[in-house]
Amino acid sequence: MKIVEKSDKKQVKKDREFKPNIVCFCCNWCSYAGADLAGVSRFQYPASIRIIRVMCSGRVEPAFILKSFKDNVDGVLVTGCHIGDCHYISGNEFTKDRFERLMKILKYLGLKDRFRLEWISASEGKKFAELVTTFTNQIKKLGPLNNI
Amino acid sequence: MIIKGKLREYLNNCYQCAMCSGICQMGRIQKYTPSRIIQLIIEGFEDRIVESGMLWDCLTCNSCLEKCPYEVNFAEIVRDARNKMLDAGIMPKIAHKGFYTLLSEIMSKENITPEKTFEWVPSGCEVSEKGNILYFVGCAPLFSYEFDESMNNAVDTLKILCKIENEPIVLLKDEKCCGHDLLWQGKIEAFKKLAIHNIKSFERSGASLIITSCAEGYRTLKIDYPSMFENFNVKVKHLVEYLYEKLKENKIKFKKEKKNTKILKLTYHDPCRLSRFLPKSFNIYEKIRYIFKELEKVGYVYNEMVHNKSNSLCCGVSCWLNCSDKAKALRYHRMLEAKDVADNLVTTCPKCEIHFRCLQNDTETVQDINVIDLSNLLENVIEVIPSQQNKEVSKK
Ligand code: SF4
Ligand code: SF4
Ligand code: SF4
Ligand code: FES
Repeated sequence: MKIVEKSDKKQVKKDREFKPNIVCFCCNWCSYAGADLAGVSRFQYPASIRIIRVMCSGRVEPAFILKSFKDNVDGVLVTGCHIGDCHYISGNEFTKDRFERLMKILKYLGLKDRFRLEWISASEGKKFAELVTTFTNQIKKLGPLNNI
Repeated sequence: MIIKGKLREYLNNCYQCAMCSGICQMGRIQKYTPSRIIQLIIEGFEDRIVESGMLWDCLTCNSCLEKCPYEVNFAEIVRDARNKMLDAGIMPKIAHKGFYTLLSEIMSKENITPEKTFEWVPSGCEVSEKGNILYFVGCAPLFSYEFDESMNNAVDTLKILCKIENEPIVLLKDEKCCGHDLLWQGKIEAFKKLAIHNIKSFERSGASLIITSCAEGYRTLKIDYPSMFENFNVKVKHLVEYLYEKLKENKIKFKKEKKNTKILKLTYHDPCRLSRFLPKSFNIYEKIRYIFKELEKVGYVYNEMVHNKSNSLCCGVSCWLNCSDKAKALRYHRMLEAKDVADNLVTTCPKCEIHFRCLQNDTETVQDINVIDLSNLLENVIEVIPSQQNKEVSKK
């Protein structure tokens, strides 16, 4: 009996359109400006992301990503300056190394497709909009993280 | 009233001899007096105790239980109170920004199914999904995020098992964290979810024996799972027990050391979860020492530290809580003790190993002692006695 009930609930949820909740960490010097540019130039992208501005992508602890997933965020994006462009010289190199390690762990948890690390410069408003669009679609395909 | 039922009874048994405060390991580095905390709770200041957050400081090392004449289980009281402290928003400071705890918490979600990969399985080892003997790997693959050596323990344990057993060893693809850390941090709901998942996977695999090489995992599977879930009754053995039995049954022996190699001086750190946290009847203290006695026969030297067996000192971090300079002092003290008597510190808890190694990174004086897991030590030394010879021995 119970099992039937559960799947019923799922059905109801599926019928409603799923709007993913995505957390996006942007570094202050490039990607946040990039996101700003996307807005100023009126590139359309889904309203699924919540931007958290940090001074450098190096500030983003892997624990932040895990905390988001724990709290049922459907996807996490981390963006920073291109390698070599970091305002703090090597912050993003550090980030890259760190998240490569984290990726192994996420793979093991089956969460690897819900996380992405990208470099976006201040002039790449278009790229930012595209990134958010493709990532949102990807998450939509995967469905909500907490679908029970 | 937060503390109820059995735990309340414990409290009411206390007659304030203050033995616990005298022995308390936390008391060595800061003011910490379990007997006073108990007294305050009995007198009705429970809320204040909970609000002050001081119960996060307890190492849950169980030294106090060991000495208490009335078996007041302070660590369990702390465990339950922590659950309420979380509800009240009094949060602990977890080491590594909570990374490893968060992993366990994510895993406890029902719709997350881990997909373990087995590329680390040493060549020549046969593993399968169904079978008799299951090796519970535990968190080692997760620890590899920061600690590169964390898989060695699992690799060597598996090598040992494959060497001794003639059948493929079961490894679970969807094995989740055993939940030890969550349990002792008071996150009992999440712990239960993990346990239910694991118990189901165990059943599916058809295993009749679970072997683990982790002290915390052992205590959790052996004591905490059955106490919460009555239908869980698979036999669980720690590698120590397993090897002890094989030695006794004459199935294995240790190889002689080559003559010209340096003699290894060993000492053993009893992890709390594999000593004070188990009923006395398990007798792990003696089992592990039997293994060392056998090792002595083939040319190793074994020395006991000043604090050993049920007196053994804490490594200073439990379930990723309390890592601070103070806890480092505890660890430092322990390592100095080890250094006095040996040059290899053997342990059976992967986390103790991690914490000790971590201290070595920033303290030179303890760098020359080699921290090593039992499985790493034994992997090369174990020799299987062929079964025919075995029969002859038993005939004699
Ligand atoms: S040792 Fe036991 S009886 Fe004595 S004060 Fe501590 S808890 Fe109470
Ligand atoms: S469990 Fe250990 S740290 Fe906690 S009160 Fe007892 S002796 Fe002290
Ligand atoms: S001792 Fe080192 S490895 Fe252990 S919790 Fe502290 S920082 Fe982490
Ligand atoms: S400032 Fe942009 S990544 Fe460091």
